[in-house]
Amino acid sequence: MAEISHSSADDEALVREAQQGGLDAFEELVSRHRDRIYGRAYSMVRNEEEAMDLSQEAWVKGWQRLAQFQRESSFATWMTRIVINLCLDHLRKQKRQRSESLDALNEESGGVERLMPVLTVNPTERLERGELRQRIDSALNQLSHEHRTALVLHEFEEMEYKEIARVMGCSIGTVMSRLFYARRKLAVILADLKKSEAT
Amino acid sequence: MENDAHLKLQAFVDGELPEAEARVVASQLARDADAAALIAEMKFTRHALAGHEKAVRVPESRDFYWSKIRRQIEASEVERPAPVAIPWHAKLRRFLAPATAVAVVAIAGLLATQPVGVVGGTETSLSDSGAFTYRDFSSGTTLVWLSYPAEETLDDED
Repeated sequence: MAEISHSSADDEALVREAQQGGLDAFEELVSRHRDRIYGRAYSMVRNEEEAMDLSQEAWVKGWQRLAQFQRESSFATWMTRIVINLCLDHLRKQKRQRSESLDALNEESGGVERLMPVLTVNPTERLERGELRQRIDSALNQLSHEHRTALVLHEFEEMEYKEIARVMGCSIGTVMSRLFYARRKLAVILADLKKSEAT
Repeated sequence: MENDAHLKLQAFVDGELPEAEARVVASQLARDADAAALIAEMKFTRHALAGHEKAVRVPESRDFYWSKIRRQIEASEVERPAPVAIPWHAKLRRFLAPATAVAVVAIAGLLATQPVGVVGGTETSLSDSGAFTYRDFSSGTTLVWLSYPAEETLDDED
């Protein structure tokens, strides 16, 4: 009976119940939004197992911080912010373990993307939706995590520069730079994918 | 084009430029083919991404995915330190200490209102409470000493 009422309740009611300790209501929220939370983790870390762990950790944190949820955004957006922060922490830890001085230099100065000619033909023209999604996914896979994160937050989460800067812990100038070179690189990768398919 | 100019063009595409600057950039595009080409490239990248994020699904069943979350939630709640239980006699002593102090002060007040006429003074010890009073009849003053067992001492005794 309780299960029926949970499945028909809206997020707002489920959050209220969960805030009073209702774990079953929270389970329903997890069930509704798990793909979105896992998907965001996956888009950032590009690894199934890590995305799984990070998304589950985000839900645990969500439960622990539920009292702090002030309804300034939807519950799903609030949870998405939690998983984004966890992924960024995870990526920073990973980065510390690698020597990325060259990557950091390229990230700020543009590296090879700086020298790439501007594309005059849209490489995604006349592609079917599914094909385009597949192509974009494999292009995103080839970006550095800083470039990919900037793009994901801007294009998919629709965050403004200043919000991305706050989340990523960098200046607005760095966000603009990362976004710019991420787009340039993405354009070239998409063009290369088109060329390699044509040959 | 310089890097700053590129970033300004991007801010124009993203709608992040103040209105006055956006108007300047828009007029520049008409006479700068490179800038216009770069803007076009950024726009098709934006359009390609918009609404084309690959949909991914949790590669586990609902129950399996939830069971791990539930275990972690339950484990974190067990790990939370339980409030320290205070024994009844310690609670009683904590109540009695200030109550005794109030009583002592009241007694001292009563003594102070007694008529003065006797030379010298008397010392009254309230040994149970750890407090004693001294009344100097000649000057009509009363001193009260209060001593409490320290909190640590109470805990040690528990």
